[in-house]
Amino acid sequence: MRQLVQERTYSLTLTIVLIGLGAALVFPQTFPTFGNWSQLLLNLSIDTIVAVGMMLLLIAGVFDLSVGSVVAFSGGIAAYTMMVYGIPVPVAVVLTLIGAGLIGAVNGYLIAYQGINPMIQTLAMMGIVRGGALLISGSGIQNLPYWFNALSQSRLLGIQMPVWYMLLIVGTFAFLMNKTVFFRRYYYIGGNEQAADLSGIRVKRMKLWGFVLTSVLAGVAGMLLASRLGTALPTAGRGLELRVITAVILGGASLSGGHGKIIGALLGAMFMGLVSNVMVLTRVSGYWQDIILGLILIAAVWSDKALQKRGALA
Amino acid sequence: MKKLLLLSLLSLAACELPPRQASTTTALNTVSDSTALGADEEYVMVTTAVTMPMYINHDQAAFKRWGAKHGVNVSVLGPAEWDVPAQINIIEEVIGTRPSGLLINGTDPAIGPVIDKAVAAGIPTVVYDSDIPNSKRHAFLGTDWYEIGQMQGREMVRLLGGKGKIAYLGIFGLNSMETGFRGLLDVIKDYPGIEVVGKFDDRSNVEEAARITSNLLSAHPDLAGLCGFDSNSGPGIGLAVKEAGRVGKVKVTTVDWEPEHLQLVREGVIQMLAGQKRELFTWYGAQFLYDMVHQTNRLSAHDAQAGITNVPTSVNTGLLRITQANVNEFIHR
Repeated sequence: MRQLVQERTYSLTLTIVLIGLGAALVFPQTFPTFGNWSQLLLNLSIDTIVAVGMMLLLIAGVFDLSVGSVVAFSGGIAAYTMMVYGIPVPVAVVLTLIGAGLIGAVNGYLIAYQGINPMIQTLAMMGIVRGGALLISGSGIQNLPYWFNALSQSRLLGIQMPVWYMLLIVGTFAFLMNKTVFFRRYYYIGGNEQAADLSGIRVKRMKLWGFVLTSVLAGVAGMLLASRLGTALPTAGRGLELRVITAVILGGASLSGGHGKIIGALLGAMFMGLVSNVMVLTRVSGYWQDIILGLILIAAVWSDKALQKRGALA
Repeated sequence: MKKLLLLSLLSLAACELPPRQASTTTALNTVSDSTALGADEEYVMVTTAVTMPMYINHDQAAFKRWGAKHGVNVSVLGPAEWDVPAQINIIEEVIGTRPSGLLINGTDPAIGPVIDKAVAAGIPTVVYDSDIPNSKRHAFLGTDWYEIGQMQGREMVRLLGGKGKIAYLGIFGLNSMETGFRGLLDVIKDYPGIEVVGKFDDRSNVEEAARITSNLLSAHPDLAGLCGFDSNSGPGIGLAVKEAGRVGKVKVTTVDWEPEHLQLVREGVIQMLAGQKRELFTWYGAQFLYDMVHQTNRLSAHDAQAGITNVPTSVNTGLLRITQANVNEFIHR
């Protein structure tokens, strides 16, 4: 039982189920419906895709504050290349992903090889990339090509595509982190970087790739958001970095590295989406949401500490 | 491998593409007859940056006053920060709860599709503040931001006698504000004696606006005028102009009329405010929704079937021109 409570993915799943059951009892007409759930999942899909990358970085003991700006920038780059240069949709998508990857590569190189603090580096990049997004998109680029919009606006089994992409990405990364030697090394790096280095793991290169992957995932999320809205918004993804870090910490990651599971990123985002959904149903305004989520985050981390202490004593 | 291929093909077959163009049938524009009336009647406002004092003091206060006067439930929802995708998410979730009417802050053209979704669901939907002309909203009430820009431009030309250096501040990337900037520049371009030294993003932050202004005053000692486009531009510009001891020498025009703006006009720091009539946006917006739900003014035997909206489709609530001459009327309102 103690193990069940200590393992965040289980305790979080249990909390999600309990909140879901409670909401279903109080709002039987509106909460447990296909429409509400497909909307809830759609609303958390963009954050979750970014959270997968952030989980990987936090497992390795680093993080990236520039992801929200990359979301806005990548939507803008895709829209700009398609609308201004008339570049076909698939080429624009690939170019955008390369662009996002390059931003991650700069972050990764300066952090891993030049020893710049991740917070300072990615904070600076957050500003640079947001400025770039504003330069490209102005007040937003509208009326994007049909096939670009179809990426997010199409449905499979009645559910909008970003939900499927999210599940695919979570599934793929969960598999990679569990089953492949390459990705499992991130746990060793986060657990003890020096020991990982001494055991022959190329820590710097691994970190660089971690930032590249995270940035590419933020690029995917940014394009999906622009495609869903049919508009590239330069203000998109503002505050997303902190929301995603909150979700990932709720999902079991630790800022000191070495802990977390990819599925935790989904569960953390789902928990936050559920709280937000219930607040809409109860007509509670936005500022309460921030207060409630802040309190929950403290409670989750504090209970972890308390349980660890008890575990150590037992 | 074969199984995987088969699964992929099946998935593709089950994939449903979005419509090429939104349907233009009038049926979409009609209001559902099943809308809840009486005790369950509820009007929901969805905005972004729900905590912004200007929104709370004007938009939300008038909306709540309207609800109390009519004895119906009113709710205000939205993210705490300026986050358009989050506003869209909330509107999507609210549609599922089928409120009697939806009052939506027209923050960005990107909310057009979700407005259409609300209209298609038969929910009376009114947009306020900035229009979303690409949507099927039933009605719009608000300010013409181009006019705000023009009003500031004309006042600046008058104050400077048609010559001098100016700069302007606001939030970059917002449709309404970029429209306002255009209005300003379109007036200024006819006056070659006026030189625009820059456009600055104060991110709706008083400290940022003050920092930009003080830097500008150092870089351009002959700076003659400043125009502000968001609620926090005025207080920030005012602070820096006062600290630099340039009150009255640098002419300032800006938007909105919160207590701090009015005080700055009284002190002669700001020469003119282009004030929006925000109370009217939400009071009459809610009234429009109520009149649609209750079919207060029937224009045909059955307006819904005829595809008629029985309220004005577009209302420009106009602007207030607040100067030292009339500022006391607003302070003691």
